[in-house]
Amino acid sequence: MFGIAASSVQEIRSTDSMAGAANEIEHTNVPKVRHMLEWGHRTSYVVNAGMHFGLPATRPALVLILREARVAVLVDKIDRMTEVAGVHPLPRAFTGEERRWYSGLAYVDDSVIPVVQPSGFLTQEELAHLERAAEAGAARSEMQGAAQA
Amino acid sequence: MTASNTAKRSFVLLRIGPRRFALPAEAVAELAPPVKLHVFPHTSPSVAGVIVRRRRIVPVYDVGPLLSGRSAHGEQFYLITRGGGGAGEFRAILVSGECELATGEVRPPDADRQAYVAGTLRTSEETVDVLDPDALIASAQVRERAGVEARP
Repeated sequence: MFGIAASSVQEIRSTDSMAGAANEIEHTNVPKVRHMLEWGHRTSYVVNAGMHFGLPATRPALVLILREARVAVLVDKIDRMTEVAGVHPLPRAFTGEERRWYSGLAYVDDSVIPVVQPSGFLTQEELAHLERAAEAGAARSEMQGAAQA
Repeated sequence: MTASNTAKRSFVLLRIGPRRFALPAEAVAELAPPVKLHVFPHTSPSVAGVIVRRRRIVPVYDVGPLLSGRSAHGEQFYLITRGGGGAGEFRAILVSGECELATGEVRPPDADRQAYVAGTLRTSEETVDVLDPDALIASAQVRERAGVEARP
């Protein structure tokens, strides 16, 4: 289980309802992202949260469209909305990518859960790569459209 | 190490895998009983998870691979130590419940010993390595950087 600040989430949708708004990104070497989402005059890259965190594959049912990052996140379910007394800093013992993934740890109902950092889902390099892949895909589509016309 | 502090210091003897080690008693805050180990995805293999102890979130290290060549994940007790060097952060290592207090003569380590061995403690029954907790954690982190693997 993970936590995310409610203020970081713009919208929550089922994956089924978003099918028409999602475009596949081809030839990306960011395997956790396979689609981009055109939604509310914005383009977001859809990150499979399970793959991002190295978890076993599941069938995500929901998309969280994040407010500030150009990211939408595929998740299995929303457990609940709750208030937490505070977010504890991630102990210095953690020295890897998790320092980018999490803004800290929260104690919720006898469990310690990591609080995800929206900007941690994609690095600047990954974003730049996805943008190039998306542009290349758009150019290909335009050429195909022109050829058919 | 001077003769005066070797004679008076106390040590906590602990078992990790088949071997016993000693930690300076002043570095040990508590031997915590089996409490829930909270785990979540991360990429710091020497960290097994975190526990909550006295309202603190305490990271738990598995130093078994470093000290005995195999994980201490089966162990259920946590020896909580204070971070040195002004860091002040508490951290725990997974240990068996077999811990005891001992005093004895401490000798400097042989020159070829690992950096985390601060000396050799001789009790009435045995001779064990005295661990430097800060150097132990640092060595575990160096070891993990040499071969990082994700821990779900």
